[in-house]
Amino acid sequence: MSLKTLIKSGFMLEIYFYKNNRAAFLAMFLWPYLMLALILGMGYFFGSPGAFKQNVQMDVDPVIYYVASTLVAMSALDVMWGVGGNIMWYRWSGTLPYILLSPNRTSTTLIFSYIPRYLLGAFIQLAEFMPLIIIIEGFSSGLMKIGVLVLAITVGMIPLLGFSALFASFLITIEEETNVLSWLNPLILLFSGAFYPAYLLPYWARFISQILPTTYTVELARVAAIIGAPKLAPITFFIGILLGIALVYNFLAYLFMGYGEKKAMERGAI
Amino acid sequence: MVLTRVKAILWLHTLRLWRYRWSFLNLVLAEAAWVFLFVLGALLFVPGEYLGLAVKSAFWTIVAWTIISQCSSLIGAWMNFFISIGMVEEHILRGISPFKVILGRVVTSFSVILVSLLFISAILNGVFKTNVWAINDPYLLTLSFIALALQGLAYGITIAAISVKTSIPHNMLEIVNFAVIGLLMIPLDRIPGLFAIPFLCVPYVASAHLAKIGASGAQPYMLLEALNISLLETLVMLTIAIYVIKKSEEWIKKNGVRAIGFF
Repeated sequence: MSLKTLIKSGFMLEIYFYKNNRAAFLAMFLWPYLMLALILGMGYFFGSPGAFKQNVQMDVDPVIYYVASTLVAMSALDVMWGVGGNIMWYRWSGTLPYILLSPNRTSTTLIFSYIPRYLLGAFIQLAEFMPLIIIIEGFSSGLMKIGVLVLAITVGMIPLLGFSALFASFLITIEEETNVLSWLNPLILLFSGAFYPAYLLPYWARFISQILPTTYTVELARVAAIIGAPKLAPITFFIGILLGIALVYNFLAYLFMGYGEKKAMERGAI
Repeated sequence: MVLTRVKAILWLHTLRLWRYRWSFLNLVLAEAAWVFLFVLGALLFVPGEYLGLAVKSAFWTIVAWTIISQCSSLIGAWMNFFISIGMVEEHILRGISPFKVILGRVVTSFSVILVSLLFISAILNGVFKTNVWAINDPYLLTLSFIALALQGLAYGITIAAISVKTSIPHNMLEIVNFAVIGLLMIPLDRIPGLFAIPFLCVPYVASAHLAKIGASGAQPYMLLEALNISLLETLVMLTIAIYVIKKSEEWIKKNGVRAIGFF
């Protein structure tokens, strides 16, 4: 089975999922705006944009700041569930043995069949926010900021795929039925500074932030929120870091996924 | 006989709660983590000197929302599982209403609510050096939460009853819950006088307004109106729930379960 076939199968799966679950498709459009409205609504009711700028210690637009945060948070959750959480879904539905016995390695199947689904979902969500960004920023500045967000969700996905595959191997190895990811995901977002900047967290929490790929994806996306034209230096800096940690996480995922698969097959833990 | 059945239902849910204790802890942790994540984001808008007040206000809004959402999602959405394992027909054959079994999920939902809120309050008190439990009127607060819980139960059981006849997507249920928190946040005194009463008539709003007065000691604006509307709304919602349950049971006996529930 070639990688092209895996990518095509992932794409077809997503298209048919949307076609057969129209309510879920509609809900996908509503979620990002609901999340954004909840934080901005609470924020504006309890405080003001002036206090926000003072607290984050940056000259940023709160709406674009949370558009960037929501987009990255939704995409990161999607990757973590789509790759890491899928192992549990396959186990529950009884298809894990087929995935383990398929010609490609499990990590390869999980990642490559997921990539088109991720890109489709993430770009639909970005397209949803585009009118809002253009209204706030104007056409040319808005397009530049959308460009930064495109970079964040595409480059940010690369290390996150390896990171999530590591979780998948962990879930195979521990034979855990309880959904560990459901509480781990919000914690990962918290330490990544998704809705509250990581640099304002306590020292010990900042240490955890530094090893999470999502922290740099969030920071890269937030370059778009800074008032004025986005600067090239921080963009290239964050892309460099993301590509560097992508190498580390994907290499680790490749090693550990093999170990997890072997263990699962030895013990029949599927 | 009735008491034995009630005992059996409560025992079933208590036993399940113990057997799925890791899932229970998992749910509590997830709930607390999500709430903390959103509250932190919202508090970025608050000037330092008002942080204590805002944390308290946000906490009690979250308490109201948690009661509503857990009652509707843990009770209403369980129908999917109950239908999938074929338990609806099984209970009808033995002369027990499946909806009474579903209602027994109050054991699970109230355990989740209680432990999550204790955990969340401990985090907020610790991080923001405040005391969210310092409340103004405990009686009014208790009354408002009883009304909210009954309304949430009525809503959960109504949609569970409807779901045996039609399909309701599960994420739509969550979207409704999300929209509710928006309504709960709006202070009544910011609504123009003409629309204040219609606004209070929106389910949960009057009870949540009472909770805000009880918790923060805010000016008792339209207290009597909110009290009456809250009581009336609770009665109406419970009546609708009982009526829909009765109709759904009749429908199941004639047509069978559609076996869709929430998906």
